[in-house]
Amino acid sequence: MRFIAFAFKNLFRRPLRTGLTIMGIALAVAVAVSLIGFNIGYRRSIDVSIDKLGFQVMIMAKGCPYEAATMMLKGGTGLVYLPASTYDQVRSDPDIAAITPIFVGVAEKEGSGINDESASSFAIISGIEVESFVSMKPWMTMSQGAGHLGGRWFADDATGEVVLGYEVAEYEQRKVGDSYYVSITPYGQTEPVMSEFKVVGILERTGTQDDGTVFMPISLARSLFNRPTELTIVGFKLKNFSGFALRQFEQRWAKLPEVQVVGLQQVKTTLVSLVETAQTMIASVAVVAIIVAIIGVINSIMMSVFERTGEIGIMKAIGASKSDIFQIIWLETMAICLGGGVGGVILALSGTSLVEKAIQSLIDFGTRGSMVAITPQVMLVALLGSAVVGCFAGLYPAWRASSMRPVEAIREGE
Amino acid sequence: MNNNIETMEAPIITARGLKKHYKRGIETIKALDGVSLDIRSGEMVSILGPSGSGKTTLINLLSCLDAPDAGELVIAGRSVNGLVEEELVNVRQGVLGFIFQKFHLLPTLTVAENVELPLMFLRRQVDREKTLEVLRQVDLENRAGHLPKELSGGQMQRVAIARALITDSKVLIADEPTGNLDKANGEAVFALFRRLVTEKNLTVIVTTHNLALGGLADRIITLEDGLIIDEHLRQ
Repeated sequence: MRFIAFAFKNLFRRPLRTGLTIMGIALAVAVAVSLIGFNIGYRRSIDVSIDKLGFQVMIMAKGCPYEAATMMLKGGTGLVYLPASTYDQVRSDPDIAAITPIFVGVAEKEGSGINDESASSFAIISGIEVESFVSMKPWMTMSQGAGHLGGRWFADDATGEVVLGYEVAEYEQRKVGDSYYVSITPYGQTEPVMSEFKVVGILERTGTQDDGTVFMPISLARSLFNRPTELTIVGFKLKNFSGFALRQFEQRWAKLPEVQVVGLQQVKTTLVSLVETAQTMIASVAVVAIIVAIIGVINSIMMSVFERTGEIGIMKAIGASKSDIFQIIWLETMAICLGGGVGGVILALSGTSLVEKAIQSLIDFGTRGSMVAITPQVMLVALLGSAVVGCFAGLYPAWRASSMRPVEAIREGE
Repeated sequence: MNNNIETMEAPIITARGLKKHYKRGIETIKALDGVSLDIRSGEMVSILGPSGSGKTTLINLLSCLDAPDAGELVIAGRSVNGLVEEELVNVRQGVLGFIFQKFHLLPTLTVAENVELPLMFLRRQVDREKTLEVLRQVDLENRAGHLPKELSGGQMQRVAIARALITDSKVLIADEPTGNLDKANGEAVFALFRRLVTEKNLTVIVTTHNLALGGLADRIITLEDGLIIDEHLRQ
């Protein structure tokens, strides 16, 4: 028999206690793994979402950059607008490689035919200039799936045509050639006006906010929302993008009234830092859970050591050295912690969706899709972390056990 | 039976003036107060005496489980005075085997695994054939796969004896091995000791309250108040 097998046999003498201790560690590890997974997944999601905006810099109306960013990433209702003249002023900047104006509005859905209370009853309308917009997002192509064949972009002067993002089409069950209805309340009016559009194209899935957007010509959108001289954002690509070039660009155009220049790297940082507040809270819970679990492990092993005082004395009498006893107790602790680590990873993997919902209830993500990415590296870190915890948690009980004098241990055990 | 002590080998254990005192409050308990003895290979020695006479203290010192406050102790030619615990472990390993009143078998290990446990600490390869052979010597070869809870007290004590034998110990030290056994099982254990002394030339040191069983040894040492008050060969 080897030490490790012996340690396992000892643990199975008290299966309930061992099981509960492992569960304590597993819960702590699951929280930590979910948190790390969320951190990685969220950053990755932010990166993808922002990178797929297609531009590096945007000009928007002054306000909270976080609201502006989340509005751009997933749509929003607190829209603010900037004068369309801004676009004309800025487009002549020599550092600009590409520029596109975007008008975003929120409309009410009509006639989807699907009764789903959990779904939003609003549609995000994005008015764009096709050529400049698509040149910034070359990955936006027309879907060729069933019912999507023959899709195309609308002409900039078209008046009754829209292109649907993949999820909008899927949710609304629209095909190319179908009608699409929305009610828009024009600026300055109180009653919404229902409009009918022809779906001329359905986009391939991009995994970004574009999947949930209805695209139409910018002139049409501005007209329907009765904001003929306004824009929501202007997106740019700079010729030689760098931090210095961005600062230069910002300095040049920050002088415009009522607008702000926002670098998308800054948006990433803003979003991540805001979510970090929630993460800090969750991390605190995880740290407390881990500390409690470690105390639980030490307590459990110490109880086991005290219960086996006589036995430890006997083992010493029949030839066990201090280091043998230390090794046995330490292995028992390690086994508990590693068992908890494996259990925690499994728990985290199986509870990903629950964790997402829990975190979503705490803070608005600002992005779409799955936020928790439990990678093999995260799992490895969790297991290594459990092993490290086991190493330290086992030190004291193992030292106590190995320091027992055989005669006294045997006497106490009797 | 080894009645002729003079013809036996040189002492495997030599003790001179062993003292062990304990403090209890302001009182000093003289558990052992200068005990000297020689124990030879192939000898069966019983240590008799009432409770508190120092039997267990003496046996703990002879088995290197405890260190004397004064005196000299040589085991298998090696002086153990001043040795630290890890060095005492080395002296014990492979030389001394222990049998306790309460058996102290590990409940989750089978009989065979309990017997093989010391081998794990000695880093020796387990040889199941040898384990069964040792169990055969204590008439338990058919119980190798059983758990201790499935055995009687006498059987458990025989497993403990097998555990002491597996390492080819030269000396078996048994502290009240029959204390938890009935008369028949107690006699069976002593008969087994006698057989091991005769057949394997083992040295057996055993403490007991039972004068009749103690009288079965080659030499009977009687302790009282930490001193040897009588020592005689078996009649």
